[in-house]
Formats: sequence, C-alpha cells, structure tokens
Amino acid sequence: MLGTLRQMLTCHWSARRIQRYLDADPAARLTPGETSRLEEHLATCERCAEVAAENRALHRALSAWTGMRSVDPRSVDRVRSFLSTIDDEDPR
Amino acid sequence: MTDRRTPDDTTRKATFREIVEPEIEVMLRVAFSITSSPADGEDLVQESLLRAYKALDRFDGRHPRAWLLTILRHTNANMHRRRRPGTVGDWEVIRSAKPAFGRSELPSAEDSVIDLELHPALDAAVRALDPRFRSALILVDVHDLSYAEAAAVMGVPVGTVMSRLSRARDRVRKALRATPLTRGDL
Repeated sequence: MLGTLRQMLTCHWSARRIQRYLDADPAARLTPGETSRLEEHLATCERCAEVAAENRALHRALSAWTGMRSVDPRSVDRVRSFLSTIDDEDPR
Repeated sequence: MTDRRTPDDTTRKATFREIVEPEIEVMLRVAFSITSSPADGEDLVQESLLRAYKALDRFDGRHPRAWLLTILRHTNANMHRRRRPGTVGDWEVIRSAKPAFGRSELPSAEDSVIDLELHPALDAAVRALDPRFRSALILVDVHDLSYAEAAAVMGVPVGTVMSRLSRARDRVRKALRATPLTRGDL
C-alpha cells in the first residue's frame, strides 16, 4: 500500500518534469539531482518510460516536417539584399 | 558622390548586419507560418528589419533572436491593424480566414493557418489543437525555437509557453496512441 502510494507520487513528480528533461531548454533546466531521480524512475516505471518515448517520437515526427522547416534560398537572398538596402538608405 | 556616413554609422550598420544575418532563415520560417504565404512572410520580415534597425540603439545585445522575433510579432500585429477592409485583397483574406474558436478577425501569430504535409493522423491531431497550443507546438517542435524565443513570438511568459506546449503534446500524443507514431516508426 505504502509502496503503491510512493510509486504514484513519483510518477506524478516525474510527469511534471519529463518535458523539461527532454527539451533541456536553458530557461527551465532540471537540476542534476532531479535529472538523476527522473532517469532512475524512467528506468523502472514502464508507464512513464512510455510517455517519454511517445514524446520523443512526437518531437521526431514534427522535426521531420520539412514543409514547415525549409526556406527557399532565394527568399534568404532577397532578405540579404534588403539588408544592403537598409545600409544604403539608412531609414533613421 | 561623397559617402556621408560617419564611423558611428558604419559600426552601427555592421553590428546590425552581424545580429540579423544568422537569424534570417528562422525569421522567414516563423513569418511563413504566421502569414501562410511566402510573399507576405518576406514582406513581414523586411518590415520587421526596418523597425529593428530603427530600434537598434535600444537593444541590449542579449538574445538577438528573441529580440527580432518580438519585433516580428509586433510588426505582424501592426501590419494587420493598418489594413482597412474595402480592397479586393483584404476581402479575400477575410473570406478565406478560418475562424478559430469563434474568432473571425485576421490571423494572428496564435491562430495562423498552417499547410500541413504530415502523416494524416498527426495532421489531424495538430489541426484539432486550440490555436494557442498549436502555436507553442509548432514553434518549439517544428521550428526548434527555445522556450524564450517562442515566448517572444507569442507575446506570453515562458511559463505559459511551457504549459501550452505540455498540453499540446499531451493531446497530440493521446490522439496518436493507436498509430505508428507512438511506436516511433512514423
């Protein structure tokens, strides 16, 4: 009974940190202690490990969404040329 | 013809170029997803760069991408505000705008229309999201922006980005439970 309750609390604690763990964003890094505790939990909890795996798969699928990621190099060139125009005309 | 630029001007322009050049591509990607049109996206980036150049003296030098994306968001809002219904182009935009949760105004950064070319199940799950949640997901997971950069585009605190992102991912993940996506082999 106590073990189940402890497991539930750890799952809850982990669920609130999985996103930050996977993203490792500079604005919301986990402490080394939190990272170790979470990794230990993911190694033993099938359900939380599955959530982490699904999040990784989702990120992979969205990252591979080339239709949104690719920019026509001609667009980049045009903006570069525009920067030169700003240099020439000085809009201040 | 003489060059009237002072050394200060030259330094200022070089600094601006140094800040902007590495960010051109990400600005264009974000602008395209906000406007859903390459031509409008380029216009938005160019207008944003003019504003950024004028505001360069107030830039503290930190987080240039977030600074430029904040200007992009403000510029997009101002460009829409400037438009007046009456021209054919404007009416076409209004008619084709997809209402999101009862909203019918022109698209903002939050409810941008996105041309999805995804696995159909993922496409449907992303489309079904509330536009606020969808924006967080697209900016972070598709465009690889940091939380702070996404916050700059959306005009909300970092904590709000994190919470919207979490809800977006949970919804999409649960919607895809029975698809190959959850097995990681999409």
